[in-house]
Amino acid sequence: MKTQIKSSLNAGITFGIVSLFLYLIGFTTTASQIIQNLFKLKPASIVLGMDSLVFSFSLFIGLIGVWAGVNQARSQKGQPFGTVLMSATLTGLTHGLIVALVAYITGSLNASGVKMNTYLSQLLPASVKLFLFNQTSVLGALSQLAFLTLTALLGGAVTYGLTVSNVFGKLADAWHSLWKQVNSVPAVARFRASPYFSSVMYGLLLLVMLLVPLRVGQYWNYTLGTVGIYVLLGLGLNIVVGLAGLLNLGYVAFFAIGAYTVALLTSPAPHGLVWNFWLVLPLGILAATLVGVLLVVPVLRMRGDYLAIVTLGFGEIIRILSKSDALTWLTGGPKGVNNVGGPVLFGWVFNDVGYLYLIFLSVLLAIFVTRRLQNSRVGRAWESMREDETVSRAMGINILRHKVLAFAIGAAFAGLGGVLFAARNQFTGPEDHNMMVSINVLSAVIVGGMGSIPGVIAGAFVLKGLPEILRELENYRVLAFATLLVVMMLVRPAGILPASRRKFEHEKGRAVPGEEGAK
Amino acid sequence: MATENKVNKKKVSTYKIVQIVLGVLFGGYIVWRLYQILIANPVYGPDTWLRFAIAGIILGSVYALVAIGYTLVYGILHMINFAHGDIMMIGAFGGYFVFEALKNISTPTVADPKLNFLNAHPIVSVILAFVVGVSVAALSGYFLERIAYRPLRNAPRLVPLISAIGASIFLENAAMLMFGAQRRDFTNPVVLTRGNGWEIPVGGGTVILTYTGVLTFVLSIVILVLLYLLVQRTRMGRAMRAVAENKNVAALMGINVDGIISQTFILSGGLAGAAGVMWGIHLGLVYYFLGFIPGIKAFTSAVLGGIGNLPGAMLGGLFLGGVESLGPAVLGIDFQLKDVLAFGILVLVLIFRPTGILGEVLSEEKV
Amino acid sequence: MKIALETRGVVKQFGGLVAVNSVDLVVPENSIFSVIGPNGAGKTTFYNCITGFYTPEKGDVLFFGESILGLSPDQITYRGIARTYQNIRLFSTMSAIENIMVGEHSRLNANWAEAIIRTPRMVKEEKAAVEEARRLLNFVGLTGLGDQAARNLPYGAQRRLEIARALASRPKLLLLDEPTAGMNPNETAEMVDFVHRLRDELGIAILLIEHDMRMVMGVSDRIAVLDYGEKIAEGSPSEIQNNPRVIEAYLGKPMSEYEA
Repeated sequence: MKTQIKSSLNAGITFGIVSLFLYLIGFTTTASQIIQNLFKLKPASIVLGMDSLVFSFSLFIGLIGVWAGVNQARSQKGQPFGTVLMSATLTGLTHGLIVALVAYITGSLNASGVKMNTYLSQLLPASVKLFLFNQTSVLGALSQLAFLTLTALLGGAVTYGLTVSNVFGKLADAWHSLWKQVNSVPAVARFRASPYFSSVMYGLLLLVMLLVPLRVGQYWNYTLGTVGIYVLLGLGLNIVVGLAGLLNLGYVAFFAIGAYTVALLTSPAPHGLVWNFWLVLPLGILAATLVGVLLVVPVLRMRGDYLAIVTLGFGEIIRILSKSDALTWLTGGPKGVNNVGGPVLFGWVFNDVGYLYLIFLSVLLAIFVTRRLQNSRVGRAWESMREDETVSRAMGINILRHKVLAFAIGAAFAGLGGVLFAARNQFTGPEDHNMMVSINVLSAVIVGGMGSIPGVIAGAFVLKGLPEILRELENYRVLAFATLLVVMMLVRPAGILPASRRKFEHEKGRAVPGEEGAK
Repeated sequence: MATENKVNKKKVSTYKIVQIVLGVLFGGYIVWRLYQILIANPVYGPDTWLRFAIAGIILGSVYALVAIGYTLVYGILHMINFAHGDIMMIGAFGGYFVFEALKNISTPTVADPKLNFLNAHPIVSVILAFVVGVSVAALSGYFLERIAYRPLRNAPRLVPLISAIGASIFLENAAMLMFGAQRRDFTNPVVLTRGNGWEIPVGGGTVILTYTGVLTFVLSIVILVLLYLLVQRTRMGRAMRAVAENKNVAALMGINVDGIISQTFILSGGLAGAAGVMWGIHLGLVYYFLGFIPGIKAFTSAVLGGIGNLPGAMLGGLFLGGVESLGPAVLGIDFQLKDVLAFGILVLVLIFRPTGILGEVLSEEKV
Repeated sequence: MKIALETRGVVKQFGGLVAVNSVDLVVPENSIFSVIGPNGAGKTTFYNCITGFYTPEKGDVLFFGESILGLSPDQITYRGIARTYQNIRLFSTMSAIENIMVGEHSRLNANWAEAIIRTPRMVKEEKAAVEEARRLLNFVGLTGLGDQAARNLPYGAQRRLEIARALASRPKLLLLDEPTAGMNPNETAEMVDFVHRLRDELGIAILLIEHDMRMVMGVSDRIAVLDYGEKIAEGSPSEIQNNPRVIEAYLGKPMSEYEA
């Protein structure tokens, strides 16, 4: 009993802190607005006797309340109904007390005319009032307390019901058996097992890639292009981090070198060299690769975490140099380089569709190269290095050479990405190459699944694609990534789509060889 | 079977040659520059040099405080606490809010009816700011470890590092959303107005030894000495060193390893918090990204001094502060590029002496 | 008979501590040679001197008559020395077959460019590498476990896999570091047979570090005893068993107590 009370209080405090945090960063208001838009409620209209925004807010805070109850009830699995209910209620009560207290304080301060948003920028008077359901501070705080307690009670009761009747277990079983049945249909099974299966899938994908740019319009072409470039960068970093196990936090430096190479060699200002894009493209890749090799040779003898910091420092050095006054004659300084030249093919000046095709092509090339390398002697050497460098050396692997190789190939992909990015935007400048690019790409690789190509693609979509869809969440994007990084490491360090291992012993369509050498 | 006792000369690798060539080139350049600016063609007078040196030492003492935090955590967990700089930012905000709150408490006197608490009791105010700043930072350090690092204690090396990066970005952005993205003026008590201080005449000019600077430096040194005594002389310090040496054995000796690790994070968080308040008082601006650059530089200091080595971190901090403020003048590069210089130093040190200046040899992984 | 490995007066110091003090050994081809000694006697340090992870301060290490002193560990593996570890160190997330294929690294030639273009030579080499890995898997008795992640294999299988990985480089000398650590008597007996098979079927020399006296006495052609970094005795198993200095080194107890 005592432990249950303690765990309920703990959970209540945790949820209290989370709710307050959401309040302080202004998310309660934003979320309410999103819900309002979602249900297409008109502002200032009345829903269930409430203002529509207050209704949306109740829905949001109610969800958190229910979640608290559900969470607590789930931790009390196997306990009698009364205990579960009491536990959930206690959690809700604690949660509610904390929230109500702060709601009351902020409400009274707000009512007495203190401008809290000078210090806590999200506590605008409207947000504070919303947090009190547009009531007076006393009434609002009491409503919070009652509401959060009741919702937790509700959550607890529902969870108990669902656990006892095992609804989710049954649903999962039903899904599995359905999946099995579909697979046991002879045609489906034969199709999945046939060697054409993957070809057909790739064909479909290719078709989609060919058609999509023509159909979706300029805005989406731009967004997809950005995602594509991030996939490209992710694939490159995947080789460095995911396969070879070298943490590179300054990956953006190589991206910047690619971008600046194409910008400075094709733009009329500051150097007046208007070279052909197709000539500059390989030069950009080459420059990035060369710098990658030069940087990494002295640094590679260090322990892994030193490498992380040195690369981070290097990324910053490149950015600071690119915007410094001392190098403005070379790089165009803080204003960057405009009118970067783009590709022209048989007289066709690339438009958004052309760039998207070019990006898709590059991504396919990168996937091809990654796959080939991964399943080769070099790829195995990288992975063994990642697992245990000392043993890897004892296996006859030249660690230094393979590290340099991984860095060089990663840098080449980044250089290509930089060239495409600068050419497409017709601009590049120091702020295109800040540390967030490195962090974003790293997040894409890690969230997706280190060492896994589908993982990198999924990761890039989650990190670059989703924010484009959820525009309202713009302010919270980076915070969400950061949370995602930590949570991913805590619960699923292998990523959403972890790398799968190639099968050798039971390869498809191959008999297992006899036991010629067995005992 | 004759036992030959030939002595094996260390093979001269290409790496060694590169080291020597780089060292000679770099050293030569510095000597040449020193000759140029000091004797042949003096650009700055002695007062300017002294000003640079003082600024460097003060900055360095703050780096030292933060660097100690890195070194403590690294010594025990062998991980880089990437979010350490952001803990410093939290401490700075703690101090900022204390000053702001005290500024709004009026304590009118006959002489000055507009007097507020901050100016009426500057010493109490500063102490309060430090107490609050250090406490919130220490608390953040504790929770940081509990939430983001402890569950990953036995995970592969890369995993806690990534979690730390995530935590760092999280703290920065949470602060940005809560407190806003703008830079805020850190209002000091009037007696501690930035720029005021003792004037020392030096060769034709005067050098101002600012009150905030002296406060920062003296306080850092006191804290560093206390910390050294804590680690070397107390039961807690002994336990910490034991855990750093070998967690399993320490646990067998009845030391609560988790508890010691928590204490280490509280301690290092508190140090970063103190550094944050000093940063605010001395340099005068607080904002969400404040901890990032000092954090990296403090890490550089820790590496310079040999990570895991307490006196090394202090020396490293002072050294880096000095390099940063004297370096651009000595090397004749733009002051805008002082951050480049700091990173450059890091790379050079790692090339020449991966174990740092004081070179505590970290267990090069046992084969 | 050729001499596979010869060490001449090898000295390795760490600061003031002399971990290995002027050790001479001669390991003939096609033989099983054991190095024993109490904990901290410098056995593993001695291994590291042979495999290139440490460079001895004094002395020389000859492999088939050529000095391998100062070569890096990967170069030494190329020359034909492979090893296993006291605490098993497999590439834990990689599959058993992949582990063996990493072991084949020094025998294969495909570079990154060939891997991308997939030249006929590279394809042929890969195919052969997979075949060889399968053969080794069978040889150590792990047929059917090839696609399992190394960390999911049972303890005994991991030991065998580590040996298979070492054999994949086709070494002329195999260094085994306590191959029976943590094994029960049955498994130990199997390991003794297995080590014999390694020598008889593959014709390689084996240098063995071992704690288990029964294993050492049963398997070795010759034994050297290290204590405080110095070689205090060398001879056939029976000679070692009756050597007073060896008995003294082992806490003064008669050898028979250790056999039990």
